[in-house]
Amino acid sequence: MELYNKTLSELALMLREKKISSAELTKSIFDRIEAVEDKIEAYVTLNKENALKAAEEIDKKISCGEDLSPLAGIPIGIKDNISTKGLRTTCSSKMLENYVPPFNATVMNKLCDAGAVITGKLNMDEFAMGSSTETSYYKKTKNPYDQTRIPGGSSGGSAAAVAAGEAVAALGSDTGGSIRQPASYCGVVGLKPTYGSVSRFGLVAFASSLDQIGPIGKSVEDVAIIQSVINGYDKMDGTSQYREYTDYKANLKSDVKGLKIGIPKEYFGVGIDDNVKSSVMNAVKQLEGEGAIIKEISLPSTDYALSSYYIISSAEASSNLARYDGVKYGFRAENYDGLIDMYERTRSEGFGDEVKRRIMLGTFVLSSGFYDAYYKKAKLLQRRISNEFTENFKDIDVIATPTVPTTAFKIGEHFNDPVKMYATDICTVTINIAGLPAMSIPCGYDNNGLPIGLQLIGDKFAEQTLLNTAYAYEQLKGGFKLPTL
Amino acid sequence: MNIDIKHIAKLSRLKIDDDELEKFEADMQNIVEMVERMPNIDEELTIDENNAMKLREDKAVTNKYTREELLSNAPFVKAGCLVVPKTVE
Repeated sequence: MELYNKTLSELALMLREKKISSAELTKSIFDRIEAVEDKIEAYVTLNKENALKAAEEIDKKISCGEDLSPLAGIPIGIKDNISTKGLRTTCSSKMLENYVPPFNATVMNKLCDAGAVITGKLNMDEFAMGSSTETSYYKKTKNPYDQTRIPGGSSGGSAAAVAAGEAVAALGSDTGGSIRQPASYCGVVGLKPTYGSVSRFGLVAFASSLDQIGPIGKSVEDVAIIQSVINGYDKMDGTSQYREYTDYKANLKSDVKGLKIGIPKEYFGVGIDDNVKSSVMNAVKQLEGEGAIIKEISLPSTDYALSSYYIISSAEASSNLARYDGVKYGFRAENYDGLIDMYERTRSEGFGDEVKRRIMLGTFVLSSGFYDAYYKKAKLLQRRISNEFTENFKDIDVIATPTVPTTAFKIGEHFNDPVKMYATDICTVTINIAGLPAMSIPCGYDNNGLPIGLQLIGDKFAEQTLLNTAYAYEQLKGGFKLPTL
Repeated sequence: MNIDIKHIAKLSRLKIDDDELEKFEADMQNIVEMVERMPNIDEELTIDENNAMKLREDKAVTNKYTREELLSNAPFVKAGCLVVPKTVE
């Protein structure tokens, strides 16, 4: 039986009803990996042996009639910047080529406690810096819809693996759109949760005030199930928020009657492809047909969001990545002359060009004489952008925009032009700046048959409203379709 | 604006080879031009006093990791210690 094109919810039910075993399911996912991985190149490291063992353990528990999480026995892939005890975690960088974490990220403990089966570690842009997964030191992941195109980034391996059936679902991380943008390009569902709702302990830091781990799945229900497992207060993360988190899946409903959806005109302007615009607006109209109330809104500072984002994220990155010095863990250059030379050679040989650019940008904006003109201004802008969202959420429930201005671009198209690459993040970075939850769900295809994503943005901790809106739309549009490979 | 890449690289503990200098300079120039586009905001940054950071208690915790585990990823270890080049003559 082909199981790789089924959703997590369908498979969880089949497992519960003993129509399949986790061992069977896990084997079928690894068969799929074997069949298509050469074309997609989503994985950096496979975890086959341990996965099959874990699946057998879960099968024993299922046969004993234990009350298990819906994730029990489900093969899930993990972005390679999430620490997995005993399983190599490279961040797709040469710097961490042989790094094997001695501990699990909190989300990994939660997934393992729920009985999830870990398929392996998924490719990404180096240290999550990029929008195409092309900056990976190891390989270039391909878009399952067209292998001459990028899958998006930085969680490109996660989105491509889910779309291609190489994992039932995956975890990604999102600092400026890194879950939503690849989900949009690969025709899957991705959720960037509210900042503070999912523990960052064990997520290799890029920009700590913006980073957030989140799920990528084939359906809204799948994403809701994973989010309910991974969120929650964690004392190991100083920015973790203590509150009651609900069971999102149990509370899913597709009723949008009276739901107020805001359409910010700034997200539909210059640079947004016509196909994308019409697909997103069609989706909004369909929701209106179900009783949602559509309202045009304005988020005037959107135009400056990229500046604010690239300054803040690079400033934090320059500080976070100072730890890679060739001493405690990771790569060390072979030849050097003294301590400083060792640092410099290690970092120059261990990091790729994009990481170097971000470290240098961050160092520049924080350096003496430039702080006020760049970093301080960016932080003031952050507050303004955040306030604009807060004001709007007084009158509306959800904001709808395109996830990305265009569909997936060609491999190499923007690789040598960082500014063009950065511009692809224009619709997603504002959400991280404001710490809000947002998701991308498929809403159609362009003339080349490439997926288009609808981005839904919610107020802080309004994940349920977001998921309900996405669920309502998914019911109208129909569920996941496997691309032909 | 002219960006002194060599100086920034030095602050970043990076070595940029001469043959790469031009490319990094051009890239950084374009990136800085992009991020410079910001309005003047005549406000001050403030600290949200109602949202105090929760700090953990200052008390000893049991170490969950062995020395071997922690050193297992280090590039150069000798006698249970991390080895770095000599810094004091």
